[in-house]
Amino acid sequence: MEDEDQQKLTDLVKELVLRLLSHGSPASAPPNPNSPHFQASLRYAVRILSSRLTPSVTPDAAAIAESIKRYLATHGKSSQALTFADLYTKFASKTGPGSVNNKWAVLYLLKIISEDRAKNELDSPSLLPNLESFDAELGDKSRVSQDRENGKMGWDKGVLLVSKDPENLRELAFKGYADLVKEENEVSEEVLVRDVLYACQGIDGKYVKFGTIVDGYILSDIVNVPRATRTMVRKLCELGWLFRKVKGYISESMDRFPAEDVGTVGQAFCAALQDELSEYYKLLAILEAQSMNPIPLVSESANSSNYLTLRRLSVWLAEPLVKMRLMAVLVDKCRVLRGGAMAGAIHLHAQHGDPLVHEFMKRLLTRVCSPMFEMVRSWVLEGELEDIFAEFFIVGQQVKAESLWREGYRLQSAMLPSFISNSLAQRILRTGKSINFLRVCCEDRGWAEAASEAASAAGTTTRRGSLGYGETDALESLIDEAAKRIDRHLLDVMYNRYKFKEHCLAIKRYLLLGQGDFVQYLMDIVWPELSEPANTIGSFKLAGLLESAVRSSNAQYDDPEILDRLRVKMMPHGTGDRGWDVFSLEYDPRVPLDTVFTESVMAKYLRIFNFLWKLRRVEHALIGAWKTMKPNCITSQAFMKLQRAVKVQLLSTLRRCQVLWNEMNHFVTNLQYYIMFEVLEVSWSNFSHEMEVAKDLDDLLSAHEKYLNSILEKSLLGERSQALHKSLFILFDLILRFRSHADRLSEGIHELQARTSESSLASRDKNKSRRRVNDGPSETSSWAADGRKALTQRAGEFLRNMRQDLDSISKEYTSLLEGFLSQLPVQQHVDLKFLMFRLDFTEFYSRLGLNKS
Amino acid sequence: MDPEAARTARESLDLAFHMSNILDTGLDRHTLSVLIALCDLGLNPEALAAVVKELRREPSVSVPATAPPSFP
Repeated sequence: MEDEDQQKLTDLVKELVLRLLSHGSPASAPPNPNSPHFQASLRYAVRILSSRLTPSVTPDAAAIAESIKRYLATHGKSSQALTFADLYTKFASKTGPGSVNNKWAVLYLLKIISEDRAKNELDSPSLLPNLESFDAELGDKSRVSQDRENGKMGWDKGVLLVSKDPENLRELAFKGYADLVKEENEVSEEVLVRDVLYACQGIDGKYVKFGTIVDGYILSDIVNVPRATRTMVRKLCELGWLFRKVKGYISESMDRFPAEDVGTVGQAFCAALQDELSEYYKLLAILEAQSMNPIPLVSESANSSNYLTLRRLSVWLAEPLVKMRLMAVLVDKCRVLRGGAMAGAIHLHAQHGDPLVHEFMKRLLTRVCSPMFEMVRSWVLEGELEDIFAEFFIVGQQVKAESLWREGYRLQSAMLPSFISNSLAQRILRTGKSINFLRVCCEDRGWAEAASEAASAAGTTTRRGSLGYGETDALESLIDEAAKRIDRHLLDVMYNRYKFKEHCLAIKRYLLLGQGDFVQYLMDIVWPELSEPANTIGSFKLAGLLESAVRSSNAQYDDPEILDRLRVKMMPHGTGDRGWDVFSLEYDPRVPLDTVFTESVMAKYLRIFNFLWKLRRVEHALIGAWKTMKPNCITSQAFMKLQRAVKVQLLSTLRRCQVLWNEMNHFVTNLQYYIMFEVLEVSWSNFSHEMEVAKDLDDLLSAHEKYLNSILEKSLLGERSQALHKSLFILFDLILRFRSHADRLSEGIHELQARTSESSLASRDKNKSRRRVNDGPSETSSWAADGRKALTQRAGEFLRNMRQDLDSISKEYTSLLEGFLSQLPVQQHVDLKFLMFRLDFTEFYSRLGLNKS
Repeated sequence: MDPEAARTARESLDLAFHMSNILDTGLDRHTLSVLIALCDLGLNPEALAAVVKELRREPSVSVPATAPPSFP
């Protein structure tokens, strides 16, 4: 086939030559194929054909057709152009056997031939000088090279026709372009690229320097570069600016570290930034190596594929730009922050949707938060607060042992990072506090096992560096475990070693007068003492009395440790105070119980004690009064001897006295009952129930507060019950006055009785003596008669006075009690309906009130 | 050649001749057909054009006589 083709080729060429020659010579005689002219032409033709084997245009038939059309159109032959277009479409649509395969070749051929012909026809010497001058004008900016065989240019109706010549036009055009580029740029692109790379590391290059006024890396204006390049350089130098900022911050922090201005978190942040920067440096090193390769201009083919232009640089630097921007933003944010606040601020920035950003921030945060997590771990598992730079969100201060729990440690929310919630922080605080409390106040070592158990249960170890950012769940579980175990341990210690419950119970029995027999006995012994003025009472005596009271009641079987703590307290007194006003009992809680029973708590207990003690005193007084009012004192034979009027008076007075006593007794008894049972016992049962379910010391403290406050409120000692409290105390005073009156009455009656019995005795004696001695002195009878009358008179007077007093007391009492009872239902902050119910069971008082109104 | 192919060929030639006339190349039908055949065989059209141009010139232009070239 090859040979066939070759043969066909040769034949065709011969044929062509023949035809051309015959066409050329106007002679009608066909040329002789064997003529030397023909042979020479053939040889020449073959030479030409073999010299150029590759076309210089792309084999695109449509493009060639387009150019032909344009050529036709510009030459004013538009109708022919249309025709040509039509023809071309038809020609192009011919496919299949028999059609032309290389359509483009045909078209191209036609085009060239026609152009040649056109050119040849226009060949006139007059154009040549113009052409030469034209060449000179264009100079070296011409797009056509000078060395042409047919370097002629033709003009056709004002349009420049560029000749097609054997040389490859495109390459020459590109070379011309390259010259232009070199002309425009004073600085080559390679140098600029290298400068930009320097700028990205914060170093000034040859042309790109840092302008402090502009605050950026700029290419100075004197350098002659096209604007596009300038803009590109500017954009790439943003990276340099950001880098400078980040590096500046890092070196600043390093300098400040010895001054203890930058904390561990800040240090960790700097270290993380430096790691990121080292990645960046690696990239820059690779780019610099590449930038050493020369950049090929368009005409030359690239000798190595790794060259670096500004465009390629911008592609490479796109990702580091994003990261650097992030770092710069963080640096700005964190310049003034420290510790937990810094970690929190960075965490806020990490809430980002872009996974690249998210990954980056997560890496950063893991490094930054590790000192924080370390601090948390050591705090929670060991109670150690190693915080030199004050970055932790828990601060401790030096306080006495008893306020260690309440005030020794507190939360500093400024330093609390945002990924640790408030409740978690509270738990952390409590756990560490418990460990410290155990260590300091309870001198207990057992918490260490609890801590290590907690750590193993949570899956981490007690070593350093086992927790990290992003593992908030692990942190939470660790803290939960630790908190649970340590709280339990603490409560165990409180209950078992320090017998918290027993002490509370003891306080209730002694300070709140729960131990009835002890209180009764104490009251009995101490009563005469306390009636003296306050400054004459010696506390030693009272202590001795307390001792004897303890010994003679069931209290003696109590735990000696508890009894140890019970003692008498004399409050500071002024003149005119009686012993009653200054006497109180005291219980001494020691470490660690004084966390619960602080000074203020004990003061509250004291108030309640005083109230209860007064109530007891009143009760005791009434009982004493009752003792003297027993009927058998009155009904003695002397009574019978009294005169009738006196007898009646006496009876009525006595009756009145008894009625009043009954009322007062009813009131006091019910009040006592209400206080003892409805207030104290109920609150105690609530409190002991809460003690059962308390999970930690905070719970215990709050339960105790609640218990105490409820007692205070319900026994009308609160602030809002002051009016009620005052009226109650006035009632108490009245009752005590009544007691003194009753005492006086009974004394008077006794005296009367004594007198009457004396006089009766005397009269009996007289009678006896009268029988014996006839002539006895009549003075005795007269004296006796005198005495009896005086006695009666005096008795009557006395009794009248008594009755008046009693009346007044009774009136006062009734009105006061009514006032008191009317105030009871109005109280809104404490529910006194049970008290009212007891006091006014039969609605006697309320009906009384109704009747009056 | 089957009649179909022959017809196609003839029509293509006609179109090409018409185009060549518009472009005023001065080629006659026969020469054009030879040229088309040569193009189909894969010769460079530029070279062919050069041949046409050279050989159309005045016979007074001397043809440089060199060693007979050989086809590649």
